[in-house]
Amino acid sequence: MKKTINIPIGSQHIALLEPVRFKFECENEKIVGVDSDVGFVHRGIEKACTTKFKYDAIGYVVARVCGLCAITHSMTYTASIEKLIGGEITQKAKYLRILLLELDRIHSHMLCLSHTCENAGFEAMFMRIMGDREDIMEIQELITGNRVQFDYISIGGVNRDIDAALAKKILSKLELVRQKVLGYMDEFTNNWSLSLKFKGVGILTLDDAYRFNAIGPLARASGVQADVRNEIDYLPYNEIGFKMQKHTEGDINARNLIRLNELLNSIEMCNNILEGLPEGEIFTKLRGKPNGESVVRFEAPRGELMYYVKANGSAMLERVRIKTPTFSSIPAFSHIFTGANYADAPAILASFDPCLSCTAK
Amino acid sequence: MMKKIETSIDTLKKDIKEFYDYKKWHFLTLNGVALEDDMLEIQWIFSEYEVKNKIVVYYAHIKYDELIPSIVEIIPSAIISQREIVDMFGVEVEGSQKGLYLDEDSQQKPLSGCSI
Repeated sequence: MKKTINIPIGSQHIALLEPVRFKFECENEKIVGVDSDVGFVHRGIEKACTTKFKYDAIGYVVARVCGLCAITHSMTYTASIEKLIGGEITQKAKYLRILLLELDRIHSHMLCLSHTCENAGFEAMFMRIMGDREDIMEIQELITGNRVQFDYISIGGVNRDIDAALAKKILSKLELVRQKVLGYMDEFTNNWSLSLKFKGVGILTLDDAYRFNAIGPLARASGVQADVRNEIDYLPYNEIGFKMQKHTEGDINARNLIRLNELLNSIEMCNNILEGLPEGEIFTKLRGKPNGESVVRFEAPRGELMYYVKANGSAMLERVRIKTPTFSSIPAFSHIFTGANYADAPAILASFDPCLSCTAK
Repeated sequence: MMKKIETSIDTLKKDIKEFYDYKKWHFLTLNGVALEDDMLEIQWIFSEYEVKNKIVVYYAHIKYDELIPSIVEIIPSAIISQREIVDMFGVEVEGSQKGLYLDEDSQQKPLSGCSI
């Protein structure tokens, strides 16, 4: 039997952005076993949702599960409740919801790509992307009033409208970002530090992606046709130019390219929404209290987010279950690490784009 | 569309094995819902790839002291959800140890409706 050594990374480590601990069992440089601990920041939000808050306030509570995909959390919860109450929201509210969901995806993917650059030692590119990301944060602030914790989506619609002047301003900012993303595409395709270095590293095969129920960019980089935007009809993604991205290599480079292509597609969808925003109200009063069970999914930046809600017709819910993308990807993460070089672990981890705030909700 | 299918802890593995085609069905998560009379509903939730709104939920009603069978041999990624259920409801799932969110020796079971 070969001698192995255990090397922990985290819960606080310079290569980690989140409070997670991986314990790698290594044979020389090769990782042969992985143990993970993700429970450092558990906040008991599911419990709070059924004991401290009424159903109409929970949309704002679950927006605090994660700072990066706050909109997706409140959207998914709100859709669960709207499904139980019944009734339709206006087309304009649906379009505005998609606009914010896609802005969430854009800034989150930019954050992930910037950290990938940082892990490659390409500090200048890291700073460049983080700087460019400010444009998206500003757009979010212009629409919602906040840069990070947006209380924008409510049961029955959205809380703020946008006028023609604001739409024009957002369109011009999005065009600037689009030009910058095309520049990133060039760097990630042609720069050795960001392309060749990551080719063939941290591979998840198509079969393993299915076996480990991989989701989001991780799955699509391995060739799985899985994007919740394609599997739901609560929001009209088919009307605004959604295109599923797919690669087959399953390595870090493929995951980067998936995110870059999704950035361009999200910008295109935002443009289509702003140019063809329907007239009408942004809010519909939905009467009644939720009753029954619902399971609703949305595509968060990191993959599928699921809410299960059980209600009994009163203002307090019986159960709120939040299944976050990083949480269900952990078995796939562990599988990818096994067999990889220890020196590649930080870059592989960054390519997962983990969110422990979501995971430990 | 959500379809609920009742199973039991005795037939769970057989039922899931017959149902689960890993390239057709996507395992979402394991869920627990506290019921009255110290009972618990355990749910195994699936969606179908590339099909709109198709959700299938296998569920079983159990007592808190019953051992829940593991489906990890059929669905490897279920391990993380099984560990969460163990922590949150204080139940035992075959081969899944406590300590994902709580301390390993914690006596708490935050989402349990069990009075004992």
